[in-house]
Amino acid sequence: MDYILTADSLSKHYRHFKALDGFSIHVPKGSIYGFVGKNGAGKTTLIRLVCGLQDPTHGTYTLYGMKNTEPGIAKCRRRMGAVVETPSIYLDMTAMDNLKEQYRIIGLPSFDDIPELLHLVGLENTGKKKVKHFSLGMKQRLGIALALAGSPDFIILDEPINGLDPQGIIEMRELILKLNRERQITFLISSHILDELSRLATHYGFIDSGHMVREISAKELDAACRKCIRVQVSDVRVLARVLDEMKIDYNIFSDTMADIYAKTNISKLTLALAEQDCDIISLTEREESLESFYVNLIGGGNQNE
Amino acid sequence: MSRLLSADFAKLKKNKFFWICIIGMFLFGIFMTGMDHIAMISDGYVPHITNVLFVYAITVALLIPAFTGLFIGTEYSDGTLRNKLIIGHTRRNIYLSNLITCSAAGILFCIPYIIGSLMIGIPLSGIEDGTLKGIVILILLSFLMATAFNALCTITGLLCQSKAMTVVINILAACFLIVMSIYVLSKLSQPETYSGVSLDTATGKVSVEEEIDNPDYLEGTEREIYQFFNDFLPTGQAVNISQAGGASGRPELLAAYSAGIIIVSTAIGIFIFGRRDIK
Repeated sequence: MDYILTADSLSKHYRHFKALDGFSIHVPKGSIYGFVGKNGAGKTTLIRLVCGLQDPTHGTYTLYGMKNTEPGIAKCRRRMGAVVETPSIYLDMTAMDNLKEQYRIIGLPSFDDIPELLHLVGLENTGKKKVKHFSLGMKQRLGIALALAGSPDFIILDEPINGLDPQGIIEMRELILKLNRERQITFLISSHILDELSRLATHYGFIDSGHMVREISAKELDAACRKCIRVQVSDVRVLARVLDEMKIDYNIFSDTMADIYAKTNISKLTLALAEQDCDIISLTEREESLESFYVNLIGGGNQNE
Repeated sequence: MSRLLSADFAKLKKNKFFWICIIGMFLFGIFMTGMDHIAMISDGYVPHITNVLFVYAITVALLIPAFTGLFIGTEYSDGTLRNKLIIGHTRRNIYLSNLITCSAAGILFCIPYIIGSLMIGIPLSGIEDGTLKGIVILILLSFLMATAFNALCTITGLLCQSKAMTVVINILAACFLIVMSIYVLSKLSQPETYSGVSLDTATGKVSVEEEIDNPDYLEGTEREIYQFFNDFLPTGQAVNISQAGGASGRPELLAAYSAGIIIVSTAIGIFIFGRRDIK
């Protein structure tokens, strides 16, 4: 698999505080990578490192296969865009002037495609209105437009829907999906709004206390979160035999317990098990969401920054 | 680097504070020269074009810290410094681009005053023979002084991540240095001796006696130290230039001090900025 961003044993310390400690990440090309973690888990720290705003204390990361310690990393960064925390825009300028500034910084010779970019993010009618008079959603969209200047193929968004109204959230989601599908732009999106992230992401990375706890694709997560019946039996080997005979998908995770991933006729199953002297001790219906998966993985502690 | 300069100068062109300063300095030049001419004529003196031609030097010493603090501080307050770093510009180039842009602005603040002053001064007073060379040297020295001052303000601008804090630090430091420079100049301007005067109480006659040594006159190493600060500090140079030379040393020495400040402060600034964590 091609990766846009990878990191191994990456650490960032602020005096005695370890914001990232032995951190690893693998962002596949063309993915929408949902970067999930509590406040203070280290999400923004990683983004700052990748954007070149700060240097790692230990370890390295690679961007487009180029190590951050190599001189060519600056060239690689020209292929990425980012909105870190708040959109980086001149409040005293119009949307058009902000984009012109960004074009100059990048060194693009012509401003011809600025109107198209403004249209893409839905800011084509802002005219001479200064950015300081924009709504939060408009500022976020302008931030994305700036990140899109220079046609990058990797965009990092740090909490892109924070503070947006429901309409703004929908627009942001549609914009990200559109850019991912039509322009094959890879996204790294940090968020703790799991419901929203679950509508976008193709891959997830769960971070806690500066460590990557788990990386998982959306497909794997769907499988892990499938609706199932959790059954506790007296003999799990008998259960497995019966389920195999019934051609039912299942997963055994202890000596007595298993998850059954199909709509099952409970009476038939009970009779089949009874015939082989296996008792059903308990039976519960379960449905795991990204939220419950996250809580199970990280724990529900309230350790905010 | 050229891309950053292009972006920074475009930003400068759109900066309101910059244009207010430019227009203000032009009007200030006209006002000062006109008022000086009226005052000189009414007091029976012959007005000289150099009387107030260099007053801008001390004015820009107050404008530069405010402008640089606001101009560079915006990069942090609006977060736009991140855009430059994210797309791969080096910190050294970002630092130098800001320094060059702010220095250009600092020099441009001087020019409207000079133009305004000369526009009024030349028709009213003319330029005396032999003064033109001195005027040009002082103007060039003032440009170097402004750049040196800008180099110092750029350090706080790029190392302090709060716009308000940058402006406050810059202005307070400028005020402190100006007061210090005025004090240094007043000490250096003390006469070596003064005339003793005695009053005969019987006749009521005042008679001038021999010259008496002035105890406040600085001598030896102490005078050299004061002279060094007077010549070395950009504000010392500003105070001296505003008085058409004052007690300043040789022009080439002043130029060398300014160049030294620019080089050393820029090197220190780039070194620290290169290692700083940006939020």
